[in-house]
Amino acid sequence: MEELISQLKENIIEVLNLEEMSPNDIDNDAPLFGEGLGLDSIDALELIVMMEKEYGIKLKNPAEGKEIFKSINVMAHYIDEHRTK
Amino acid sequence: MYILADNITSPLGNTTSQNYLTVKAGRSALRQYQADDISTESYTAARFTQEQWDEMAINGLTRFEALAACSAQRAIRNAGIDITRDDVVFILSTTKANIENLTTGDEPQEAFTPSTAAKHIAAYLRFTSTPIVVCNACISGLAAIITANRLLESKAYKYAAVCGADVLSRFTFSGFQSLKALSADECRPFDIERIGLNLGEAAATIVLSDQPSEFHIAKGAIRNDAFHISSPSKNADGAFLALQDIGAKEISEDLAFVNAHGTATLFNDQMEAVALSRAGLSHVPTNSLKSYFGHTMGAAGVLETIISLEALKDNIVLASRGFEENGTSVDVNIISENRPTTNKAFIKMISGFGGGNAAILVTQKVADTPEIAHTQQCHIHTSHSITINPHRATLDGQMLDINDTRKNLLVEIYKRFIGDYPKFYKMDPLSRLGFVASELLLRNVKEKVESIILFNNSSSVIADKNYWATAIDKDNSFPSPAHFVYTLPNIVTGEIAMRNGIHGETSFYIIPTKDKNVIDKIIYSFTLQESFSSAITGWIDYPDDEHFSAELRIIRKS
Repeated sequence: MEELISQLKENIIEVLNLEEMSPNDIDNDAPLFGEGLGLDSIDALELIVMMEKEYGIKLKNPAEGKEIFKSINVMAHYIDEHRTK
Repeated sequence: MYILADNITSPLGNTTSQNYLTVKAGRSALRQYQADDISTESYTAARFTQEQWDEMAINGLTRFEALAACSAQRAIRNAGIDITRDDVVFILSTTKANIENLTTGDEPQEAFTPSTAAKHIAAYLRFTSTPIVVCNACISGLAAIITANRLLESKAYKYAAVCGADVLSRFTFSGFQSLKALSADECRPFDIERIGLNLGEAAATIVLSDQPSEFHIAKGAIRNDAFHISSPSKNADGAFLALQDIGAKEISEDLAFVNAHGTATLFNDQMEAVALSRAGLSHVPTNSLKSYFGHTMGAAGVLETIISLEALKDNIVLASRGFEENGTSVDVNIISENRPTTNKAFIKMISGFGGGNAAILVTQKVADTPEIAHTQQCHIHTSHSITINPHRATLDGQMLDINDTRKNLLVEIYKRFIGDYPKFYKMDPLSRLGFVASELLLRNVKEKVESIILFNNSSSVIADKNYWATAIDKDNSFPSPAHFVYTLPNIVTGEIAMRNGIHGETSFYIIPTKDKNVIDKIIYSFTLQESFSSAITGWIDYPDDEHFSAELRIIRKS
C-alpha cells in the first residue's frame, strides 16, 4: 500500500501539473478537492482518465469520483480493490 | 444594424425556410449512430450524410471550408450585394475550423488554423477585405454578430456577412466525451431528465447592413463569469449581466420569447434558468433549439438567431423539443408546444467555455420609426503596455531584468514576479503568455480594468497538438479534458478574467496577418459602446516556442 500511495501521489502531481509540490506535501488524509489541493472539476475529470490509464479502472459516472477522490488514502484503497492493471 | 439576408445549411436542408419548416413540424436532425470514424461507442448527433457532403464539395476547399462557403454564398446571393467592395467584411465564427487536418496527417500547422480557413473561404467567395475570425468558444456565433453590428455602427464597413460553421471530427467529439458532457440519447434541454448534450454540424450565415430594414439587431452584450474556464457561474453572473446590458427586464413584456443556449447539460441549463430569473424573465416563453440541430458550436449563435427570426416572422414561439418537466431549481417558462405570439422581439442568449456569455435583442419594426443616429465620439488613451517575446519582456518601455531569456522564459517571469497562482502550471502556452503579460501589465494599476479583447493568428495550435497527442492512438486513447479545454484560444481571456475578477466583455479574434488596420477597427468599434470604460487589448500569439509574442496594453476612456 505504501508503494501504491507514493506512486499515486507522483501520478497525481504529474497529470494535474502540481509543479511546485512533492509527494511529501500531500497529506494522505487531507481532502483533495475544495480546501486541500484546491483541485477543480477539470482536475476531477483528469483523475478519472488517470484511473483508467494507469489502473484500468473505468468510472462510468463522473459523480462516483466524489467519493473515490476524497483523499489519497480513500483513493489508494479503491484502486487496490478495483485495479485491473 | 439590420438583417438583409440569411441562410442555414444543416442536415435538415440548404435553405433557411427548409430548416425552419422542419423544426416547426417538430422534426430533428439528431440521429443515432453506431461506433464509427469519430466515436468508439454509439452516439446521437446531427451529421451531414455523405450525399450531402458530396453536393457541397468544392474543388480546393476542405469540407469545413466548403460547408461555410456554401452557406455564405447562398446568403450573399439572397442579399444581392457586391462583396468585392472593400466596405464589405466577412466574419467567420468557428471553434475548430479545419482541425480534422491535424487528425489526418502531418500537415503544417497553417493547415488547421481558423485564419487559413477564413482566407480560403473569403478568397473563394471573392471578398477583398481582410476576413475576421471570431473564436470565442460556444458564444462565437453571437459574438460575431455583435462584432459585425459594432463594426457597421462605427462605419468601418457597410455590410457584413457573418458565417458560423463547425464540422464534427474525432478531435471535437473525443474532447466533449472526455468532459463527460455528451448524452447518448437525444438531449432534453431544461428537462429534469437531461444528462448532457448532442453535437451537431451546420453552417449559418447572416448578412447585416447599415441600411434600415424590417429586422434589427437592436442590442448585444458579452460578459464574463470570471468564475471558471469550463463550468458556468453558480449565480449566472455573466449571463445575468449580459441580459441586464441589453435591457431585458425593461422590454420583457414586448418579448415573443427568449431562445436560450439550452445545451441540456446539468450546469448550463441550471445557470441559464437562474440568469433568466435574476433578469426578471422567468415568465417569458423560453425555448432551446439544441434538440433539433444538436450543439452546432461555432454555428450555434448564428443558426439559432436565424431560426428564431423565422419564428418571429411567423408569429410563433417554437416548442423546446424534449422538454417535459422543469429540471432547474427556479421557475422558468419553457415552451413544450408551438404557440402563437403577437410580440415583435426576441432575445437570443448563449454561454461557453472561457466564462463567456452573450445576449442579443432582435426587434421587428412595426412602423417606420426614426433611428437614433450613432454620432458618439470616443477618445481613448493607453495607460500601460507590455511586450514579451522569446528574447525579452518590456513593461512601459523598461526592459525587465530576467536571467534566463532562452529557456522557459514564461516560467521565469512567473517565478520572479508572480509566484502565487499555481494554476499557472496547468495552463497551455498561450494562456501562460497571456497570464504573465497581464499580471505584469496590471501590477501597478489600481483602477479596475473592465474588459479583454485579444487577437492572434495561430489560434491555440500548441494546445491542439498537445490534446491530440493524448487522443490520437485509437487503441490507446486517453483524451485529456484539461488539454481539450485549452484548445479554445479564448480560454486565455477567461484565465485573465478569473484572476482579476473581470466581468466585462472578453473576446478573441483570429486574423490572417497582424493587420493593424483591422485590429484598430475592431477596437475602435468596441470603444464606441456606452458601457466602455477600459480594456486589456492587443496581440497574443504562440505559434511555437521560438516565435511567441505578446503586445498588450491597457486602454481607457479619456
